[in-house]
Amino acid sequence: MQRKNLTMFRNFVNINLVKLTIINRINKRSGGKLKKILALIMSATLVMSLAGCSGKAKGTTTPAPAAGEIIIGGLQDLSGGSSVSGVAMDRGAQMAVKEINDKGGINGKKIKYISYDTKGTPQEGLNAYTRLVDQDKAVAVVGPPISNIGLALTETAAQKKVPIVGAFIDSRVTKKEDGKPQDYMFLVQPTNQQSGTIQAGYLVDELGLKKVALFYDKTNAFGVSQVEAFKAYVLASGGEIVEEQVFKSGDVDFKTQLNKIKESGAEAIFAPNYPKDNTLYCTQLNQLGMSNIVTMGGLEFAPPFLTTLPDPTLVDNVYFALNVAFDDPKLADLNQSYLDTYTEAKSVDDISVKVYLGYDAIRLIAEAIKNTTGNITGEAVKAGLEGIEGFDALPGKIGFSPESHQPIGLTMVMYKISKGVNEKIGPYVPEVLK
Amino acid sequence: MSLQMIINGLSLGGVYAIIAVGYALIYNILKFSNFSHSGILVATAYIGYFIASKLHTNFWVTLLLTALIGGVLAVIVEFIGFRRLRVKNVNTMLYFVSSITVSMLLENLITVLFSTSYYSYPAFFKTTSFNVGGIMFVTTDILMLLISCVALTILQFVLKKTRIGVAIRALSTDAKTTSLMGINVTSIVIATFFVSGMLGGISGMFLGINYTLYPKLGGMITKGFISSIIGGLGNITGAVMGAFILGLLEVFLINIDFIGSSFTPVVTFVIMIIFLLIRPQGIAGSIAKEKV
Repeated sequence: MQRKNLTMFRNFVNINLVKLTIINRINKRSGGKLKKILALIMSATLVMSLAGCSGKAKGTTTPAPAAGEIIIGGLQDLSGGSSVSGVAMDRGAQMAVKEINDKGGINGKKIKYISYDTKGTPQEGLNAYTRLVDQDKAVAVVGPPISNIGLALTETAAQKKVPIVGAFIDSRVTKKEDGKPQDYMFLVQPTNQQSGTIQAGYLVDELGLKKVALFYDKTNAFGVSQVEAFKAYVLASGGEIVEEQVFKSGDVDFKTQLNKIKESGAEAIFAPNYPKDNTLYCTQLNQLGMSNIVTMGGLEFAPPFLTTLPDPTLVDNVYFALNVAFDDPKLADLNQSYLDTYTEAKSVDDISVKVYLGYDAIRLIAEAIKNTTGNITGEAVKAGLEGIEGFDALPGKIGFSPESHQPIGLTMVMYKISKGVNEKIGPYVPEVLK
Repeated sequence: MSLQMIINGLSLGGVYAIIAVGYALIYNILKFSNFSHSGILVATAYIGYFIASKLHTNFWVTLLLTALIGGVLAVIVEFIGFRRLRVKNVNTMLYFVSSITVSMLLENLITVLFSTSYYSYPAFFKTTSFNVGGIMFVTTDILMLLISCVALTILQFVLKKTRIGVAIRALSTDAKTTSLMGINVTSIVIATFFVSGMLGGISGMFLGINYTLYPKLGGMITKGFISSIIGGLGNITGAVMGAFILGLLEVFLINIDFIGSSFTPVVTFVIMIIFLLIRPQGIAGSIAKEKV
C-alpha cells in the first residue's frame, strides 16, 4: 500500500512538473506576455464592472427634460431596513403623479417622476440628489422619511437650490439652530417635537403611566430627536424616566437592555425605532415575558408593520400615533387604487401610512409649481411651497411655516395594537399643543 | 449580574460557539482566517428561509436541509476559492484575500437577488419562551444550545475516534507529511469544509430565526473570530470556551451604564488585543493540549 502511494505521489509530481514546464516554455516564447495579457484582461473586467455599478434608478437619465415635461425626483430607501417605508412613500408619489398626469398635468405639462434608492445611507442620498439635480434636471424632490439622510442633504440642497419635500421629522432638517429655516427643506408631517410631545401626553395624561423607560437607537436622529421632546413632557408632567437604554444601528440582541428595563419596574416603554428594530424589539420583549408593559412606539408601528412578523399576535399593548387615520373615508379612493395596483396588498392594513405622505408631497409640489409664473426652477418651486396656505392634504388643511418650513395645522390619531390587531382610538392633541 | 443576564449571556455564547467552531475547523487545517464562512452563513440562512416559507417544512427538516446545503456550498467555495491556491502552495495571505473576496461575492449576490430588505423566518414553535422559577428561557436559544452541544460532541468523537478525524488532525499538524503518508489531502480538506459548511448552515438558520434575515447577517463572523482568539486559534474546544466567555462578557459590558451597547465592541476588541499581546495562544493553549 505504501509503495503504491509513493508511486502515485511520484506520478503526481511528475505530471505537474511537466505541466509547469510546458507553461513556462509558452511564457518564455511569448516573452512572458501570456500572463501579462491575462492580468490586463482581468483588470479591465474589474474596472468595467465597477464602472457599471450604480444606484437603482426607476427612470431614464436623460440629459434634459423633454419639452412640456416637469421632472420631479424621489429619494427613498427602496432597500434596507426601512425599505417598507421608502417603497411605500415612493408608491404614493407615483400614484399622485399618475393622478395629476391623467388630469392633464400641471398647466398642461406632464410630470416625469424619477426615483433613486438611498439604501439607508446619507452618502447614497447625497449621490442620488446630486444626480437628480445635475443630470436629470429635477425641479423638486420628494425626500425620504429618514432624518439621517435629511440632515445630510440640507447644505447640498441650499447650494443646488432644488427643494426637497420629505418626511424627515428631526426638526434640524428643516430648521437651523439659529431659528431660521433650512431654505430648501420642507416637512410634510408633524415634527419630532410634536410627535414626542403627543406620545408623551397620551401616556402620562390619558393612560396615567408615570414610570417610563426609554429604548432607542442612539445613532439614529429619528429616535433621538423624539426622545428629547418626550422626556421633557414626562418630567414636566410629574412623571419619571426610570431607565434609559440605547442600542446602535446594526445591533440585533436587545435582551440585556430590555431586561434592565424590566428590572426597573417601568410601566411603559417609549421605543421610537425603525421597522426592523421594532420586529426584534417585539420578539425579544415577548421572549422576556414583558408584553404586559405598555409600549409607545413611533410611526413605524403603523401598517404594514404587523405583516412583517411571522406571528403578529406577539405584538400586544403597543400604542402609536399617526398623522392620518388609514380608515378615513377621504382615503377610500386612494386605498382602492393602491389595492388594485399593488396586488400583494390584500387589505387597508397592508397599506403603509407613508403612501399618503408620498402622495401629499407630490401634490404639494404640484400646487407650488401650478402657482409659479415664468420658468419652473427650483427657486421658483421653493417660493411656491412657502406660499402654500390651507392646502387640502390627506390629514387636513396644512401650510408650511415660513419660520421653520414645518407643517402648520396637523393633528395625530392614536392607535393601539392588541394581540396583533390594530385598533383606532381617535384624534389626540395634548393641551400644550392646542 | 442577575441570573437572567447569565442565561442571556450563555444563549448569546451558544450562537457564537457554533459560528466559532466552523471557523476554527478551517483554521485548524489551512491555517488562515476563513471569512468566507460569513458568506456561507448568510447564504444558508436565506436558503433555509425560502425552504421553510415555500415548502412549509417544519423546524427539523428545515435545519437538516439547511445544514446539508451549507455543507455543499462550502465545498463549492473550497473548489472555487482555495483549491488552486492550495495546489500551488501559495502564501497564506492569499487564502485570506480569497476568503474575503468570496464572502463579499456571496453577500452581494444575496443583496442583488433579495435586496437589503429584511425577512422574518416563519414561526416554528407556538411557545417562544417559558418561565422556570422566574427566569425566562427562549425556546430557540435552548434548542440551539442543545443542537450545538450534540454537533460539537459528534465532531469531537469524529476527530478523536475515527480514521478521518485522525487524518484531519494529521493534516492540521503537517500537510506535506500527511500527503506523503498516503492520505488524500484534497478529500480531507473537502470533508472538513463540508463539516464547516454544515455548522455554518445550522448557525445561519438560528441567526435568521433570532435576528431576522438581512445580507449583513454574516457580520456575526467577527464574533466567531474573537471567540477563536480568546479560546486559541485553531483550537475547537477553545473556540467554544471563548464563545461563551464572549457572550457573557458582552452582556456584562452592556449592563454597565457608562459602557452600554455603544462602547461594548470597543472594550471587546481591546480585550482581544490584550489577549493577543499577553497570551496569543488563547485560553485553551494550556488547558487543553492535543496529543498526536
